[in-house]
Amino acid sequence: MAKEDSTAQFAERARSVQTVVAEAKDLAAVFEYAADITVKQGGDTLAAPGIQGKERDRLLEVCRAKGIELICGELRETAGRISTGLTGADWGIAQTGTLVMDSKSEDIRLASMLCETHVAFIKKSRIAPDAGTIEKELSKMMKASHGYLAFISGASRTADIERVLTIGVHGPRELHVLIIGEDGQ
Amino acid sequence: MIKTPGDVKTYKLDLKRALANKFLGATLDAFASAYPQSRANAFSGIDFDCLAAEIARGKDDSIPKIEEMLEEFTARAKEAGAVVHFARTAFEANSIIASIAEENGVKRIVKSKSMTAEETFLNAHLERAGYVVSETDLGEWIIQLRGEGPSHMVMPAIHLSRRDVAELFTKVTGQEMDPDDIGAMVEVARNELRRKFLEADMGISGANFAIAQNGAIGLVTNEGNGRLVTTLPRVHVALVGVDKLVPDVTSAMRILSALPRNATGQLISNYVTWITGSVECKSAPGSRKIMHIVFLDNGRLALAKDPIFSQALRCIRCGGCANVCPIYKLVGGHNYGHVYIGAIGLILTYFYHGRENARAIVKNCLNCRACKSVCPAGIDLPRLIKEVHRAILEVEGPKPLKNVLLKRTLENRRLFHFLLRSGSLAQAPVVEGRFLRHLPLFFTEEHRFRRLPALAKVPLRDQWEKINPRIENPRLRVALFGGCLTDFVYPEQGQALLDACRGYDVRFEYPMEQSCCGLPALMAGEKETARLVAIQNLKAVDPAQFDYVITLCASCGSHLKDYADLLADEPLLGVKAAQLQDKVIDFSSFMTKVLRVDPGEFRSAGGGKTAYHAPCHLCRGQGVTKEPRELLSLAGVEYVRTKEEEVCCGFGGSFSLDFPEISAELLKRKLDNVADCGATALVTDCPGCVLQLKGGMEQRGGKVEVKHIAEMIAERRK
Ligand code: SF4
Ligand code: SF4
Repeated sequence: MAKEDSTAQFAERARSVQTVVAEAKDLAAVFEYAADITVKQGGDTLAAPGIQGKERDRLLEVCRAKGIELICGELRETAGRISTGLTGADWGIAQTGTLVMDSKSEDIRLASMLCETHVAFIKKSRIAPDAGTIEKELSKMMKASHGYLAFISGASRTADIERVLTIGVHGPRELHVLIIGEDGQ
Repeated sequence: MIKTPGDVKTYKLDLKRALANKFLGATLDAFASAYPQSRANAFSGIDFDCLAAEIARGKDDSIPKIEEMLEEFTARAKEAGAVVHFARTAFEANSIIASIAEENGVKRIVKSKSMTAEETFLNAHLERAGYVVSETDLGEWIIQLRGEGPSHMVMPAIHLSRRDVAELFTKVTGQEMDPDDIGAMVEVARNELRRKFLEADMGISGANFAIAQNGAIGLVTNEGNGRLVTTLPRVHVALVGVDKLVPDVTSAMRILSALPRNATGQLISNYVTWITGSVECKSAPGSRKIMHIVFLDNGRLALAKDPIFSQALRCIRCGGCANVCPIYKLVGGHNYGHVYIGAIGLILTYFYHGRENARAIVKNCLNCRACKSVCPAGIDLPRLIKEVHRAILEVEGPKPLKNVLLKRTLENRRLFHFLLRSGSLAQAPVVEGRFLRHLPLFFTEEHRFRRLPALAKVPLRDQWEKINPRIENPRLRVALFGGCLTDFVYPEQGQALLDACRGYDVRFEYPMEQSCCGLPALMAGEKETARLVAIQNLKAVDPAQFDYVITLCASCGSHLKDYADLLADEPLLGVKAAQLQDKVIDFSSFMTKVLRVDPGEFRSAGGGKTAYHAPCHLCRGQGVTKEPRELLSLAGVEYVRTKEEEVCCGFGGSFSLDFPEISAELLKRKLDNVADCGATALVTDCPGCVLQLKGGMEQRGGKVEVKHIAEMIAERRK
């Protein structure tokens, strides 16, 4: 399948499970998006443990400008008050609209589980047509000792009361996926 | 504590209560109506049968190697910092988990959904030992608070209404809950459980997969509670049945591609988590999770060696077999299984929770094969259910009178046919038209939902010489396998066959030594009798002498084809049985594919709309679905599709005598559906279904004419 088709299918399938999908030019645009959505939803913290070095400084600037606290580590301490979790994803699976996230780091896990809104970004080139295509890579990520590999498709949901679909029972109430095009970095 | 009645009498009282539960009926019906479409959508573009066959093959290859896989898994998981335990029994597993809790000074435990933990009654064990255990899957939490077991493997609280949940949550929170605000109730769960996650010292999960190749476990959830259970507490224990071991990632992915699609019609569940060893956990010493994996045997290793039942270990716990079961739909999981529910539950209960719990429920199966047709692991569920039934009868003895009589009469054709002929004379005073005026003695009020047909005055076999035109120089030689109902109750269906094929140069023969096909014996758990009868029939009908063996009975046809399995080890006869399998054909296939009847042979249309009921043993038992509809259209019949055309009519042979309440309800729904589509006639291709549908129609005073499809076609011939 051509890359464009995979991306389109990924977006379609992810949307069908209540994921908000958007394109982003580059990482800077992702930061803006994450900060904006935090403000829009009345939040005041953004957890982004995976963003390091120069990028972190840039994100910090964005957050400061919007009056948001940036949380970079020790997420257990802030467990109850993460508005937005921002993480990258390693792969996307078009067939099911799934994000594949290496979640070895506990902070990455907490950022994507305990937040109210999870914003994930992924490079277009990393969207595979189906799980079979990237089976080797998946195997490798699982095999890494102390591995925690997450497939995420949509926001946390339940249908346990009269089969009525209800979003946000345990994990994030919203999942936003930003696809970074080929020329972004 | 879960209670499942060990005697049919008490069980039937439970069934009656369930049938009277309006909410349960409506909610399960809504689910059952929505499921086939969402399942079909989820599988679009995927060849389901092919996938199921691959999963079955993969499982069959790996089941004999469970112990090797366990060894490999253990080595890999140890390298990654996990401690692996092996529990031979449920009690052992619970004890191991309790001692892990003790060693680590645990007080509070959170759990994500695990059928294996339900199997071992882990919560009760841990609570008795003084731990505070909280389920975190919303449905599981609800039933835990109510002190119940799950009523579905995937949707544990499907039997409860929003009102039930609101009442429960009002009690838990002390605040009045609005039953119509489901969002608010889910919010209560989110807040209550979030606190518990943060306070817990230990998380217990199950696992959908344990991958031998790399020592990883895989968890499939929608709510995301599995992620929190395996992340927040410092100790993680996974309780895993050894049947969850798969050799490699490829096998796990293959199963994953079927599991959510078949369970809930989702392409994939929201969260699929793969954990290898002790992951980073900042609240644990050295920031490494204390990770234990407890494998449960509880009979599985022995089951793996059983030539018949090893199949049951293929199960991937999708719950699909409950979703499509017409009985599950009426009575719900609490009355259709013990811990494990649905078709697979009827089987596993015997092995994991004992005869007492399996005895009554295992009888409650129509052999309609709906479960088998959707099982992504290709398990022959109806067959295994019968085998469990048989095993219980054998172990318990003495056998019920019904079985003794069945065995005595069926094993002796002359006696059997003598009894049927005498019956025809003896019933004379109570016959009214083609029906019995009263129900025979041993019937009760509950059997009054349909009228029973009278035995024919002259059985087909005794008319045969007179009515059969005996074609010289035929194009085809075809044996007619009558089966008890066509022969002794509805001989006019045999006449209709001859009329329908008039002018096609087919020479029909009726081998007189043929007897009952033997399916009733098999259904009653009398396998030996079934085998003897099959041998007798094979001696009577030598398939090599005929081009086809036709039968008007879907159940006979499907069972004749199964002789090949039943007699596989029989010297010489095994070959004949295989030949028979190739020659057995149903009426519609014979007309459309062999005779290729032409529309010009039929009188031009007229009459009203005709509905069709697809017999279980034709559409699923023999995979014949297109031909009957095609034949109706060739003959110029105005066929109208009805809702749930392929759902069982509730006959199921003697099932309708054993469980008349269930049979009556299924029949009612069937006839209601027919009435709704405005048909004036209803055809089907099985005399058993005719008996049920016609008797029900007569009882309710309905005007729709019920007949065998052969009769309608014969009437239409020019
Ligand atoms: S054969 Fe039919 S009645 Fe029996 S368990 Fe399967 S679906 Fe249910
Ligand atoms: S027996 Fe088949 S259909 Fe039933 S739960 Fe197991 S895998 Fe699913």
